[in-house]
Amino acid sequence: MGYVAAGYTIVLTILFLYGLSLAWRRRRLTRAAQRVASSAASSGPGGGRLPR
Amino acid sequence: MRPNPGVLTFPTQSSRGKWTVRIIGIAAALGLALTVWLGLWVTPPDQVQGDLVRLVYIHPGVAWVALYLAFGLAAVASLLYLWPRTRSLFWDRLAAAAVEVGVVFNVCTLISGSIWGKPTWGVWWAWDARLTSTAVLLVLFLGYLALRRVPAEPEVRARRSAFVALFASVDVPIVHFSVLWWKTLHQGATVLNPDLSPTIHGSMAWTLLLGFVALTLVFVWMLLVRYRIGVLSDWLGSHELEAALEERRAEGTATDEDRAA
Repeated sequence: MGYVAAGYTIVLTILFLYGLSLAWRRRRLTRAAQRVASSAASSGPGGGRLPR
Repeated sequence: MRPNPGVLTFPTQSSRGKWTVRIIGIAAALGLALTVWLGLWVTPPDQVQGDLVRLVYIHPGVAWVALYLAFGLAAVASLLYLWPRTRSLFWDRLAAAAVEVGVVFNVCTLISGSIWGKPTWGVWWAWDARLTSTAVLLVLFLGYLALRRVPAEPEVRARRSAFVALFASVDVPIVHFSVLWWKTLHQGATVLNPDLSPTIHGSMAWTLLLGFVALTLVFVWMLLVRYRIGVLSDWLGSHELEAALEERRAEGTATDEDRAA
């Protein structure tokens, strides 16, 4: 049963940690994109006008 | 302040899309928890393998996701990118997402198989055709991910990545048929083999099936989140430089005005 427990623990830990890293990366990038978009919008007349 | 029509538009995700991802994530977590509970506590031990059979509820499931879903999807998406009529960066991002998730599942396949192999075969690893071709698949797709990190224009990166994905995908049928083409330590198809007509205990069959469904849902959730990361990352890559340049231009204009004053 030790091998079974090890197998489940390792596989589930890998999947959990990867899932967590995905959620963290998505959150970090969403915030960064929001920051870029809002700084462009608030940089004043002529200042934030960026090409599409 | 006047509204700025030329301003950057944030790549938003619809509320429906967000909820779809959440629901799939919750279903995947519940399905996986149920598989673990059934696999470890409810199903009986096997007559021959004993408790080791419990590893079978996850090992074929992760292999199915890695080989057929992830790398299969990567091959199809790469082909669609290379096809001039369907060429779009959507396919490139999808292929990249599928490969990254597939590599994680491929690692899980090799680890769970190795843990099952030690008490069953007596060794952690054997240079068997199925095991070796699966390890080669992992190395090939790690190469794909490394290639994507080489700086290049998005279209150039997409084109060369698509070629590499198609090249690497040739190994998928080799992995699948390896147990038929060569004499291998790894067993061939069992449950779906009509020649064997295996009988399998009800709870064992359902747990095996549930494992496939749960791990497929985990894959879909990871794929959707990883795809979104690709969208955000590409958007930032193309706009951060423009935003920085615009900031410098604004600073330059302000300095000129100060001098004039």
